[in-house]
Amino acid sequence: MQLKISDYLKPEAIIMEIKAKEKLAAINELVAHMVENKLVSNGDEFIKALAKRENLESTGIGDGIAIPHARTNAVKDLILAFARSPKGIDFSSVDGKPSHIIFLIASPEGKKSEYILALAKLSRLLRKHAVRELLRNAKEPEEIMDIIKKNEE
Amino acid sequence: MKFERVLLVLTDETDQSILSDSVQVCKNAGSKLFALFIIEPNRIARLASLTHQKVNIVHSKTEEEGWKLLYLLEDEAVENGVWTSLHLDEGNVLHRISHYIESYGIDVLMVKRKDECKKIFVSSSIPVIGL
Repeated sequence: MQLKISDYLKPEAIIMEIKAKEKLAAINELVAHMVENKLVSNGDEFIKALAKRENLESTGIGDGIAIPHARTNAVKDLILAFARSPKGIDFSSVDGKPSHIIFLIASPEGKKSEYILALAKLSRLLRKHAVRELLRNAKEPEEIMDIIKKNEE
Repeated sequence: MKFERVLLVLTDETDQSILSDSVQVCKNAGSKLFALFIIEPNRIARLASLTHQKVNIVHSKTEEEGWKLLYLLEDEAVENGVWTSLHLDEGNVLHRISHYIESYGIDVLMVKRKDECKKIFVSSSIPVIGL
């Protein structure tokens, strides 16, 4: 299956500096931003699905990255959002370090293969130190999108 | 005997059939499931040479397949209310397993039962479940 992460990330789903200081507040802020930009229809259902995952696992994959995710019919298609936290947020990361880069992924219940593939591609991309550094230093949402586009294979 | 922390060891040789079984074992035992996909650099180099591909291409494919296995496992675990922690690491299988046993206080290992896994059964300091 061919899937490009950059096809699913829109500039209006990017927060260059998130205000929240802890993980559930960060998820709420990101989802509220997506609802405001009409990317998500049912924010409450979406948050509930994300919170269920957060209670059963750590979505902080290490190296300052967190990927909260869920399958939920609160979204109509696979969707990504991005947020950056200069101070970092505790996502109970596997390496114990705070997360500075947060990617949120959601897909409808019926799109499991696409969802798993997007998570796998994004996780692999973000293991690259150079990509993480570029994302941490980007100034504009368009720059974030460019970095993803140029570095995904 | 109660196993609180189970480590499921996955490699590029592991197929999806082990995922459901490991989730069910942890659900029944009320255990936390740590899943570790290990990329073995020597094996990647061998595979690349055998298939006439560049090492970085084989590595990328293996890593992506690893993450897919991990997220498939996690999706099933969440459906079953099993706590999970996903890890992808690189190095010698036995060394990485020892590191995770120590770092996360693992009680029991779960591996796909194959001839290649004999070394894990023989060298492990904790009980091993072969699925």
